[in-house]
Amino acid sequence: MRPLTSRSARRRPLAAAAGAAAALALGAAAWTGAGWYGAAHDDALAFARARDAVATAAGQGVRDLNTLDHRDVADGYDTWEDSTTGELHTQLTEGREAFTAQVREARTVTTAEVLATAVTELDERAGKAGVMVAVRITVDAPEEDPAVKDSRLLAELTRTESGWKLSALSPAPLGESAPAPAE
Amino acid sequence: MATTRHTLNRRRRVTAAPAPPAAPAPASGPRARGAGPRERRPGRTAPAPRPGADDRGGGSGRNPGRVRHSPGVRRLRPRLPLPVLLAALALLLGALATHAATQSAALRDAPAARNTALTDTALTSEVQGTVSQAVADVFSYDYTAPDETAAAARAVLTGRAVEQHHALLAPVTERGPEQQLVLTTTVTHSGVELIDGDRARVLLFADQRSTRTGEDGDTTYAAAMFAVDAAREGGTWRIAALDTFPR
Repeated sequence: MRPLTSRSARRRPLAAAAGAAAALALGAAAWTGAGWYGAAHDDALAFARARDAVATAAGQGVRDLNTLDHRDVADGYDTWEDSTTGELHTQLTEGREAFTAQVREARTVTTAEVLATAVTELDERAGKAGVMVAVRITVDAPEEDPAVKDSRLLAELTRTESGWKLSALSPAPLGESAPAPAE
Repeated sequence: MATTRHTLNRRRRVTAAPAPPAAPAPASGPRARGAGPRERRPGRTAPAPRPGADDRGGGSGRNPGRVRHSPGVRRLRPRLPLPVLLAALALLLGALATHAATQSAALRDAPAARNTALTDTALTSEVQGTVSQAVADVFSYDYTAPDETAAAARAVLTGRAVEQHHALLAPVTERGPEQQLVLTTTVTHSGVELIDGDRARVLLFADQRSTRTGEDGDTTYAAAMFAVDAAREGGTWRIAALDTFPR
């Protein structure tokens, strides 16, 4: 019996120390695990990620829709159709033939640089968003100096199965009538 | 790790030895390794310098006296490494805790998370409203009251924006009295791109109506777009820089 007693006696402090360490570690893991779960399921964080996804999609969509090379209209137009959904997509699809002929005739190369995007509305549940996009468009036509134009665009985006896509795009109207009410 | 285990094993052996005649509790690591009661263990063919093999055995260095009762050792073996199991568990959980902490920190410190534009609706509309009003004030000018523009500039501009505003408005202020200029800036659209603590960035679309009331009086409209860096100083948001997207 003596070896047993002495064995458990000398093992106990070790087991106790290891047990305490394990308990501490369990507490820490539970605490940080809860924090991780919270961060992963935080509504504000999810909303922030959606906002950034919308801003990126709007910038990309506007760049796509203002980029077209007359030597490769088919591919360019495919990209246009890919970046859009809903009403805008329908309009583009319907206008494809006429537009293609027009671009081939004018032999223009259009490129765009997105200067800034700002999400103004985001309804995650409805899958709709509004974005302001500032864009600089350069049109290169043969035998002409490139024309550079800054555009103020208002984009509406809709969430689809393959991410956010442009469903409407229009230039911000210039208030012609005297003192327009500030928004 | 190995060193700790050596030390533990050595401590066990030292405590276990009923009467340590030959090895009076060695003090230093390397020497202690080979000098324990383990060497005197019966039936062992590899005596002195095999610390590695011995330690990998897990339970073998533990109790020299028990080797004689080998069936008992077998039976008890699952219970023996309890401290080792607990230590391993502690390590595992510790690693888990570290991982979870890293992950949640990454999520919360991501640029998307730091930017509270739109997620903090109250702050977003405060920034939006203040900056839009400030822009309208400092980019409006009336030749009959040029001091109002200057006063507005002093109130809402800070840092680099002071100089930028001065340069942008110079053509208006210089010819203003002579041409009887009235410039009215109306912000039509504004969107907060970013709010990070006391910094913010706002994109603005504005209409600028410019009226010359002099002899060849006329009114022109211009569309303007620019971004504003705002900074919160003492609870008030001020324009710190203007970005007119120069070519």
